[in-house]
Amino acid sequence: MDRERFEVLLDAYGADFRRWPDDERAAGEAFAAQDAGAAAMLNAARALDRALSLAGGAPDTSALAARILATAPRRSAAFDTRAALALAACAVFGIVLGYGGGMLAPLADQDDGYFTAAFEAPFGDDGDEG
Amino acid sequence: MIDPDAELVRNAGAGDAQAASALVRRHLPRMVGLARRMLNDAAEAEDVAQDVFLRVWREAPRWKPGAAKFETWMHRVALNLCYDRLRRRREKSDPDAGVYVADRAPLASDQWLARQRSQKVHAALADLPERQRAALELVHFQELTNIAAAETLEISVEALESLLARGRRALKAALADVAQDLIGDADGASRV
Repeated sequence: MDRERFEVLLDAYGADFRRWPDDERAAGEAFAAQDAGAAAMLNAARALDRALSLAGGAPDTSALAARILATAPRRSAAFDTRAALALAACAVFGIVLGYGGGMLAPLADQDDGYFTAAFEAPFGDDGDEG
Repeated sequence: MIDPDAELVRNAGAGDAQAASALVRRHLPRMVGLARRMLNDAAEAEDVAQDVFLRVWREAPRWKPGAAKFETWMHRVALNLCYDRLRRRREKSDPDAGVYVADRAPLASDQWLARQRSQKVHAALADLPERQRAALELVHFQELTNIAAAETLEISVEALESLLARGRRALKAALADVAQDLIGDADGASRV
């Protein structure tokens, strides 16, 4: 790495080599270690990094997190939907099976005499005699 | 490409409360920080973070790992929401928008000084052009790699480096006194 490239990277990424591109980090560190003027350049960049750190830090987000989690998808709701669909599918299947099964199983030919006999007078016409 | 969020997103989308909670813990402070620095407004930053997660919950059930990491997608959503708000501010030209309202509670002098400096840094960031601010946000504060940051902004790495360098140069000029004070504080502390 030459001085020009070092300056370009320092201008862009600052003095913390962890922010530098992966493939140029080691070369940058090596250049900083052996170049006489690199320390001053690094110090100037480090001063800005330190100032920027005043705008960093993790905000307290606990109350916001609770509000956000209240809007997250719920398993129970998803399960109810699936269960309702499954029940509906079962009902449709049952109706089809019942209707179709009935059609597929023809009634045996039966003498319907037992049916008409049920409406005949049980005591014959004995009562009319006499 | 392994996406460390993929499983959490899938489970959160299926209604797993623990996965949703883990996603919020992992990303919410970063989203709030990003929006806070982009908008220079704490309340608006919370609104943006909430909007980001509403979109996360909507997308999670159909999220497919592949083209972009989930985190990259979240950063892009957050930045776009910030850009929308900044555009609306410009359209309304509201002079009070984005102006930090100081806490009225009395502070010890060192706390007061720290808050003054912090506000100055936020103000200097707010004065940067949006794209420079976004580039700095992703690389400096979110600590994304140059490739991930360029991908999020949908620009080349060279363009990203140009935005970063211009942004840092402007901040260096705007914050020279803060940087000098901090160096002085550090020197004083090291002498004690």
